[in-house]
Amino acid sequence: METMFAQPIIPADDSSVTDDVDAFVKQICEVIVGKNHAVKLAVACLLARGHLLIEDIPGVGKTTLSQALARSLALAFQRIQFTSDLLPADILGNSIFDRDEQRFVFHRGPLFSQVVLIDEVNRATPKTQSALLEAMEEHHISIDGVTYELPEPFFVVATQNPQTAVGTFPLPESQLDRFLMRIELGVPERASERAMLLGMDRREMLKELKPVISPRTLIEIQDNVRKVHASAALLDYLQDLLDASRQRHNPGLSPRAGLALLHASQAWALMNGRDMVLPEDIQAIGITVMGHRLGHDIEQPGQSGRTLADNLLHSVPVP
Amino acid sequence: MSNSRNSRRTQQWRDTTIPRRPLLWLAAALLFTLPALLGTLASWVPFLFLFALVLKFWMEPRGYRLRSTSLKLILMALTLGAIFLSYNTLKGIEPAVSLLTVLVSLKILEAHTAREFQVMVTMAWVLCLCGFLLSQDLAIAFCLFVAFALLIAALVQFHRGSSPGAFWLPLATTLKLVAQAAPVVVLLFLLFPRINTGFQFRIGDLHAAMTGFSDRLSPGGIEMLANSSDIAFRAEFPDRRTRPAGPMYWRGLVMWHCEGLEWRAPYAPASISDSSRQYPASDKAIRQRITIAPHGARWMFALDRPFGIPSGAMLARGNYLYSVQPIRKSRRYEVLSSTDPIGKELGARERREALQLPASISPAVRELAGSLAARNSGPRATVASALQFFRTQGFRYSLSPGEYNKNDLDEFLFRRRTGFCEHYAASFATLMRLAGIPARVVVGYLGGEYNDLGGFFLVRQADTHAWCEVWIPENGWTRIDPTTAVAPDRASLDLSSFLAGRIASGEMATGRTAFVTQLARLPLVNQIRLIWEALNYQWDTRVLAFDADVQDVLLTSLGLTNSGPFPLVMQVLIVVSALLIIYAGWMQLQTRPRADRIQALYERYCQKLARIGVQRDPWEGPSDFAKRAAQSLPNASECVRQITETYIALRYAPGPTAISLDKFAKEIDAVTAHR
Repeated sequence: METMFAQPIIPADDSSVTDDVDAFVKQICEVIVGKNHAVKLAVACLLARGHLLIEDIPGVGKTTLSQALARSLALAFQRIQFTSDLLPADILGNSIFDRDEQRFVFHRGPLFSQVVLIDEVNRATPKTQSALLEAMEEHHISIDGVTYELPEPFFVVATQNPQTAVGTFPLPESQLDRFLMRIELGVPERASERAMLLGMDRREMLKELKPVISPRTLIEIQDNVRKVHASAALLDYLQDLLDASRQRHNPGLSPRAGLALLHASQAWALMNGRDMVLPEDIQAIGITVMGHRLGHDIEQPGQSGRTLADNLLHSVPVP
Repeated sequence: MSNSRNSRRTQQWRDTTIPRRPLLWLAAALLFTLPALLGTLASWVPFLFLFALVLKFWMEPRGYRLRSTSLKLILMALTLGAIFLSYNTLKGIEPAVSLLTVLVSLKILEAHTAREFQVMVTMAWVLCLCGFLLSQDLAIAFCLFVAFALLIAALVQFHRGSSPGAFWLPLATTLKLVAQAAPVVVLLFLLFPRINTGFQFRIGDLHAAMTGFSDRLSPGGIEMLANSSDIAFRAEFPDRRTRPAGPMYWRGLVMWHCEGLEWRAPYAPASISDSSRQYPASDKAIRQRITIAPHGARWMFALDRPFGIPSGAMLARGNYLYSVQPIRKSRRYEVLSSTDPIGKELGARERREALQLPASISPAVRELAGSLAARNSGPRATVASALQFFRTQGFRYSLSPGEYNKNDLDEFLFRRRTGFCEHYAASFATLMRLAGIPARVVVGYLGGEYNDLGGFFLVRQADTHAWCEVWIPENGWTRIDPTTAVAPDRASLDLSSFLAGRIASGEMATGRTAFVTQLARLPLVNQIRLIWEALNYQWDTRVLAFDADVQDVLLTSLGLTNSGPFPLVMQVLIVVSALLIIYAGWMQLQTRPRADRIQALYERYCQKLARIGVQRDPWEGPSDFAKRAAQSLPNASECVRQITETYIALRYAPGPTAISLDKFAKEIDAVTAHR
């Protein structure tokens, strides 16, 4: 959402924060041409400490986007390609017997990283998918009775093909709920596509990307996001949305979804230079936050979650 | 088994304690009820009360309290016996109030549960009520009001529990409660029917021998009053310009019966018939509004010679006001007076009475009276020479002339020659009668202190004065004040300042300490005293004097006809409930959440824009709507931007904003102007 006002209504405390974020968004947009809104949403998800699910057909730049995010942040980056024969130990790590020391030593898997790109998350079996659960929610991993903390910040970007594609295991609801947002990139516009065709090779561009935000700054910004003010009136609106979803759909939005809406809209407000959340912020992130959570309505099986979320946003009045 | 039984026993016997702070508030409240009761209680009861309070504060932290039933019974019997011994009866208000206070004292020692705390507060409220029953004085009322407020504070603090809070928090809550109750109190005060049931507490009788003079002027009687600062009455002159120029002689009663140095008023004076009354020229009439303090007798006061008679009074022979009922409560009346001598003709019976003399008059006095009369021809000359006699023969004015008996006329006139107004008035009138001039003694008040703030004269018992009236054929009854012959200042000053002057010049020694006199002369103290007296006057005349009659006048002026108590009660109930409903509605409106008002204003703005042509979708956020409205209404874009900015700041911004709702409302009101 672009605000109509030249000046932010109430300037955020620290304008350098928005400058950093702007530079960050700008750099990624140079790589992913013509997808400004999707990029901003992805950044908002990151700032809200959420995990991101990118769903689209192959070849629209899902992997490129997640790589661009990781490289611009100077964070440790790991990529895991999910396949149907992938086992939990492959991503979490293994205890291997060390002959010299006469004991088992834990070898950390690829999940021990800061930005983890999980390609084609719905290709793996549910067993492996659920191994992600603890890591995503709790930011730690328990193996053989030992708990290993994951590094901070920890950010999972998962991509998946539309579930109509052959050979996929749809993500269970519990796991979908753990993704703050699900975004779609879609086919670029004609002009954007032309720019891409004419421009540099994307892989070269990714290599040349310089970190824009230090990990410490990122954590600071993430802390600031939680401080963005949500007034009583705004919370009323948020709860109206939750109530409406529970009345119309089965199941409706969970309390975790409510928190997700709040945090994502806080991040969105901060990115727009405000220190308070407006109903427009919720509406801006609403479809991406609610869409994947409403896609499993047992009473309306044919409806896509995005449509249901859109209907909600266009029917619940702003109090 | 026995273990569990033990624990249950301890459970049962485990005491609760009353927290210290509510107890403090309660103790303070109880202390404030004490002044109202002090005059009524048996002398030992206040000490028991205070002792119980102090003891409670010692006992409570240690967990001690009055537990044994037999001890309680013994204490009860002891105190009952003590009250009986103090009054010789248990019937009547005084023993009852004492008993109640004693019971409260014992309850203080016993109480330890929440319920008993409530009981104590209720009993303290009953004590407040008793206090009001006994006295409605402003100072007492103030004390009881403080006690009342402190009791609410005690309850607030008690129900606050152990939650921390500043010391003044319960007070703030109390003040809020009191302020909220105030309109209802005022309404009830004005409208609650004062039904006269004929039932009356005879509390006036308790203070037997009430203040003021009696119908007997005996040597030394006024001397006792001279040191009393009690209020006799307060007088206003509604027509300020007719305030008399000379000294103000307030007529109380007229004494006809002479016994030498002692004079008496008739027990049941005859009234002057309407036909024989004299009405002076109306421009010489002085209107006074007098608020009389209860004195238990029946005379009422008025300047010089009253002729307009207030209701419930008659004009007694001797031209003084005489109430039909004894004056047991404060009373207010208007009366007209003239300062001119009065009387056309002296009837034979009156002349006989005005010349009556006791047989015990000594030859020496008769000789003196004869010499005063013989030297001169007319009564005027006789009066003048009698005054001359007082002036030149070394008479002295003194408040402590020593004791005289009623037959000590010789002693006063020839030997001691020291006395007070009553001695001079009595002896002068007796001399006049001996000289054949009809004479009588008038007792009343002289002067009074003017209160600038209240615009009234305050006359105290200390201003009591006695003077004479003699019959001069061409004039009628003429006032002669022999005291002025001896102490010329006396008439122009009130007694206390006159005496203070005497003390200052060393002419008089008195028991009054110089310190108090000096203190009273400080301007600040004097000013405070005047303010207090003015307040008291307002309290007496506006609050206490608001009785059934005044209420009747008020109700009639409001259009409520008084047709008996029951319809009145109904009418009042209807009016009060209607007012309460209005008040409740208003409060509801006032306390409506700020957020609702912001929302209502914003909706008004949206309706206005809808009328112009831009309809807001219910799900549209303010910023989106503003964008859309600005596009379709370019002229109003600035105004829309401003309103939206204010609205967002009011509704979504963190923390309190300085933006006032009125400003927001004005911005919205201006919307149509832009179109």
